[in-house]
Amino acid sequence: MTQNSHLILCVDDELVGLRVRKILLERAGYRVLTAMDGPSGLAVFESEPIEAVVLDYSMPGMHGGEVAGRMRAMKPRVPILLLSAYIGLPAEVTCLVDLYMTKGEGAPMLLQKLESLLQPVSAP
Amino acid sequence: MNLTQFNRILRQAFLLPVIALLLTAFALYYQIRNANETVQVIQQVDARIAQASLVARLIVDQESGLRGFEATDDERFLVPFRDSENRLPSEFDKLASIAALDAVQRRNIEDIRNDFQNWHDAFALPIISTIRAGGQANDVNLNLYGKTLMDHVRQDVDAITQHDEARRSVRISQWRRQVRNMLEALIAIALGIGVLIGLFMRSRLHAVSAAYRTSLEILGKRAEEIFQSEQQLRTTLASIGDGVISCDAEGRVQMMNPVASELTGWSQSDAAGRLLEEVFHVVNEQTGERVETPVGEVKRLNAVVGLANHTALIRKDSSRIIIADSGAPIRDQTGAIVGIVLVFRDITIERRTQEALLANEKLAVAGRLAATIAHEIHNPLDAVSNLLYLMRNGVTEEESKQFIDMAERELARVTQISRAMLGLYRESRAPVPVDLKAILEEILLLMEHRFMELGVTIHTDLPSAVIVDAFPAELRQVFTNLITNAAEAATPRGEVRVSASTLAAGISSGGNKMPPGALVIIADNGAGISEEVRPHLFQPFFTTKGENGTGLGLWVSRGIVGKHGGTIDVASDTGDSSHGTVVSVFLAEKPVVNPTPH
Repeated sequence: MTQNSHLILCVDDELVGLRVRKILLERAGYRVLTAMDGPSGLAVFESEPIEAVVLDYSMPGMHGGEVAGRMRAMKPRVPILLLSAYIGLPAEVTCLVDLYMTKGEGAPMLLQKLESLLQPVSAP
Repeated sequence: MNLTQFNRILRQAFLLPVIALLLTAFALYYQIRNANETVQVIQQVDARIAQASLVARLIVDQESGLRGFEATDDERFLVPFRDSENRLPSEFDKLASIAALDAVQRRNIEDIRNDFQNWHDAFALPIISTIRAGGQANDVNLNLYGKTLMDHVRQDVDAITQHDEARRSVRISQWRRQVRNMLEALIAIALGIGVLIGLFMRSRLHAVSAAYRTSLEILGKRAEEIFQSEQQLRTTLASIGDGVISCDAEGRVQMMNPVASELTGWSQSDAAGRLLEEVFHVVNEQTGERVETPVGEVKRLNAVVGLANHTALIRKDSSRIIIADSGAPIRDQTGAIVGIVLVFRDITIERRTQEALLANEKLAVAGRLAATIAHEIHNPLDAVSNLLYLMRNGVTEEESKQFIDMAERELARVTQISRAMLGLYRESRAPVPVDLKAILEEILLLMEHRFMELGVTIHTDLPSAVIVDAFPAELRQVFTNLITNAAEAATPRGEVRVSASTLAAGISSGGNKMPPGALVIIADNGAGISEEVRPHLFQPFFTTKGENGTGLGLWVSRGIVGKHGGTIDVASDTGDSSHGTVVSVFLAEKPVVNPTPH
């Protein structure tokens, strides 16, 4: 599990959801940073050597699609996993991110998808 | 030719015969007077002749008496002599006094009087004296002398008689000539005037007949024009897409156009003369109760009766169609109602389309809300499922307690949301008491996340329960619409204010009497609605949201509020500092609920 000490950024406006997701990812061996909205998420993303982003779509002010667009503009190679409570996100949003999944699909699915995103990085 | 000219001709035609008759009458009068005069003359002449004869007889009597006395010397023979002697002076006077004496006749009378006096004095009296004295009176010469005297008297009588007879015959012949002349003159006058009247009448009647012909032609032309215009009206009526029925003042069908025949199922000929109620059988769409035809209403109110809602027409074959109708009185020049015209059309399809649109909008609202709700539920569920995953993989007791607390809190949220949802589409048939405060709070709760997404702050002013009788599901739809609109208008970083309060009865700003009720105000400080857009706000399919709106929200909302006997008003300002929109919804506390919106 120690080989998985990637630095992950979680952005979500739901406090409880974010806390639980942080614990979950830390148990899975990741190092986790959190942000409660788009602008602060972008600030962390810029200053820290983030290796993957788990991003919520619906957030006040700046939604996940916009945050993803800006992250891509800063560090295009960092994979982004978009989470959403909605089914059927607009195509211009899904094409920006590497993967997207619906909330409620379960923790194993989240871990598996995150791992698959980090695979190319961890196995050069 | 105008009426004055015609009257003048009539007057002339009357005057001419009158003048002719007057002339004739005058001639006849003259003739009769003449005849009278003639008769009078004849009577006088006859009287004189008779008087002359009487005088002659008396003289003869005297002479005879004298002869008898001469021959007999008897005094008794002198009686007639004395009688005549007594009478003669007065008879002479009488003869002289008869009128129309001319000079000749006067002389003749004078002559006879003198000649008789001569005979009497110079012959008769001396003879009588001689005889009485016992003398002889049979001397021939003496008697010849007496005869000569008497002959003079006789000649005088003859002269009088002859003169009068001559005068009489002259007069008679004169009268006959006059009569003949008059007759000829009358015939001539009659002929002349007859011809004159004939010619005059002919010329006048020619004028009259020419005028009459002209009038006939004009009348014919007018009749043709009227016929054409009536044809045109008839064609227009037949071509009108709505059903049209006209009735007399008693409500009997006079005329109906083909559309009316098709809609009612009655042919024009079958319907004519029947009572409108028979042909135009209308019932309330929902209750099936018979409703008054517009004709009755028009007669009662004496005015145009507008479209009645939810009316169904039972056709001749008992099938039903939904119609909209209106009635108007037909008035004569004095303004009295002489008939009623009824216009109606089939709105069955229109109504179905409207119902479909309403259902569609309801679904759209429900769909939008469902997405919001799914999002609201998904977030806590995701957290709970992640917590369960963590707990299954082994946790410390302290952690376990902490996780369970968190899961419980998240599940409580889900429960709250699902409870708010429960009331959302519960339909009720009759209005029930509804707390507007509770409804608004539930809606705001469901939309909380959406507000955060839009970056909108909500301020509420809901101090206490506000209860009105209403259909809760429909009001939720209205307020969801209005609050969504306000939030979308205020984004980003705007504010939406929601307030509800009870309102005592009073007079509205428009001057209408308002029953007690509730006022819900939803205000935003968005950009405001431009004046070009404002008039279209409540039109169906009008939207400012492009593909994201159906354009039905406000239209349906107004329908629902109207059904609740309420009003919905929009005030908006696009000014730089004061921009924003205020939507006020008034709801009556105990509304008389109209069965269907629109």
